Amino acid sequence: MKHAIAILMFLFPFVCLCGQTAGDSIRSHAFMLGVGSSHQLDTYLSPQNYDGFQISLLRETLRMTRLAGRRISFQSLWQGTFSHSDNASGTATDWGGHIGYDALWHYNWTPLQGLRLMAGGAVGADAGFLYNSRGGNNPAQGRLGADLSASVMAIYRLRLWGQDLALRYQANMPLVGVMFSPQFGQSYYEIGEGYTNGNVCFSHPGNAFSLWQQLTVDIPLGRHIVMRAGYLCDIRQSHVNGIKMHDRSHSFMIGFVRHFRKVGRDERKAAAVIL
Amino acid sequence: MKNMFLRTRTTGIKAGFPASHFLCPSKIGGRAKRRGDVLTVFRFPFSVRDVFRFDFVESASARHNQSGLCFCSRLLAAFRFPFSVFRLIILFSTLTLASCVDEVQFDNTPEGNMEALWKIIDEHYCFLDYKAEAIGLDWDEVHARYRGKLDKNMSSAQLQEVLCNMLAELRDGHVNLYTASDVGRYWAWKEDYPSNLNDEIRESYLGTDYRIASGLYYRILDDNVGYIVYKSFSSAIGEGNIAEVLHHLRLCSGLIIDVRGNGGGQLDYAQRLASHFTNERILTGYRSHKTGTGHSDFSDLTPEYLEPSTTVRWQKPAIVLTNRGCYSATNTFVRDMLCCLNVRTLGDSTGGGSGMPFTSELPNGWLVRFSACPQYDREKRHIEFGIAPTIPCELKAEDVAKGEDTLIETARKLLAR
Repeated sequence: MKHAIAILMFLFPFVCLCGQTAGDSIRSHAFMLGVGSSHQLDTYLSPQNYDGFQISLLRETLRMTRLAGRRISFQSLWQGTFSHSDNASGTATDWGGHIGYDALWHYNWTPLQGLRLMAGGAVGADAGFLYNSRGGNNPAQGRLGADLSASVMAIYRLRLWGQDLALRYQANMPLVGVMFSPQFGQSYYEIGEGYTNGNVCFSHPGNAFSLWQQLTVDIPLGRHIVMRAGYLCDIRQSHVNGIKMHDRSHSFMIGFVRHFRKVGRDERKAAAVIL
Repeated sequence: MKNMFLRTRTTGIKAGFPASHFLCPSKIGGRAKRRGDVLTVFRFPFSVRDVFRFDFVESASARHNQSGLCFCSRLLAAFRFPFSVFRLIILFSTLTLASCVDEVQFDNTPEGNMEALWKIIDEHYCFLDYKAEAIGLDWDEVHARYRGKLDKNMSSAQLQEVLCNMLAELRDGHVNLYTASDVGRYWAWKEDYPSNLNDEIRESYLGTDYRIASGLYYRILDDNVGYIVYKSFSSAIGEGNIAEVLHHLRLCSGLIIDVRGNGGGQLDYAQRLASHFTNERILTGYRSHKTGTGHSDFSDLTPEYLEPSTTVRWQKPAIVLTNRGCYSATNTFVRDMLCCLNVRTLGDSTGGGSGMPFTSELPNGWLVRFSACPQYDREKRHIEFGIAPTIPCELKAEDVAKGEDTLIETARKLLAR
């Protein structure tokens, strides 16, 4: 376990630096806001399912790097969520929040004109909480974790109704990581006093199968602004220390994308290479 | 478009690729085979490394050649190797469905609620093993017995009564069932015993000129004994409050701390107050928590220490007055105080309540509270059913008739010696 943490801590700054290698690449910045349904379970707080809504914010940067003959792209994803959900009888409420960051590297293929396939890996970290309005000595649950993920993406550009559109599908799945979890009946009072044995757990798809999927379409609204709309399916699950947790959300996302390119004084063209 | 092999002028894929094997199993082992516009190279046997090592070659002529094909065939042709991407997506979806982390959801019926409650206690309650030994509790037998008392058409009040009676089998004051109309409880731990407390007489000892430091009521009695009443550990006290109180009482010959009827509250306040009665770090007990659903799944015992306060510390004799109403955090306070030098307890046994309570809920929304993390004394014994006093003492009726509190008077005599 200590080795896993050490490796992740070692990798994180290194891979972040790797993403800085291409100084003159074209990059796209996207900011999206989403609203959707939220489905929560955390048996540390309650064995009941909670349903409600979730608000999501997604900030994304995508650009090519100079790695592997400019075939490796770098994507950074910031995601923040806030959820509000009630139990079936309407007698209790869960409030949840989460913020996460993923740095992703994809190898790019272009098998067809307009089609880009990407596969790679990511390193990410996230933190969050879930608060139950009726808890006594177990009123809230904290979340903290870091993981290495596999990621695939497909982008297809097409022309429809006189518009250049871009369809995109992306899926990220954590493969290995570490996460915080109290033990089955352990109180945060005890954790706060420094008794933290067993609170850092090794996570893998067998005990924490999670999947992040996004399907979007980019629609140009002008020369430099592109609207992006889509569907985000964020499934986070874990079953560690006897505590079952799932946080499943399905959101409709909408936002804007802007493409940037470092240009010289005489060079004013900015072509959107990545869509 | 013919005789195209490795990395020729057209679009090509160089890899050993199982998806292609599925598409054309008869060609496995061949050198190369063109499909439509795509050159697929088979190598057999392929290694796992080959599966992920593919290279894509694209040229102007390839794009030209593709232009005559329909979109679907171009897409399919181009996706010979990325076919695995789709398979991965399907795999992801399948895994997602197959890997759902869910908890059993009981119906909102009398049976469903009873089963949910029984399961919560069965998996989370921390004294099932201890009470099986101490009071003969058989939780499976309780399930069978109360299951027979359910009826599909029973009212909410009737269901509440059945469930509360089931919980009362645990004989635990920390176990409650909260509904919109009532709080199900087990209070026999104090109601079945003499209270050894008369509030009016206690008030008379405080008089009218007593001082109040947050939750601490205190004064100096006529025989120069300090007297502190702390009615609830839910009332916040800080280091400053305690230091001021002890400083005010510094010239007293002894100190009486009356926590009778104190049903508990914050453990922090209990430890904070006790920390003013020791000059060194002392072991006061142990704590553990459940690590799984089994009745015996507990963590190793974690020692609990009392750290001496860095402000005023009491160096003279002190007596803590207790009765059956001392519960939960007060029980822990008494445990800690008994580990301090110069401190004795006088009165009746405490009520107990050594399990830190957690909460959960039923399908109908009712809230259930239960003991989850047990505490022990420094000899690793359970203190769930209370702590015996150092000096047993009862409130006598003749003293009450005279307006005197037997416990306070006894403590004053002991401190005067």
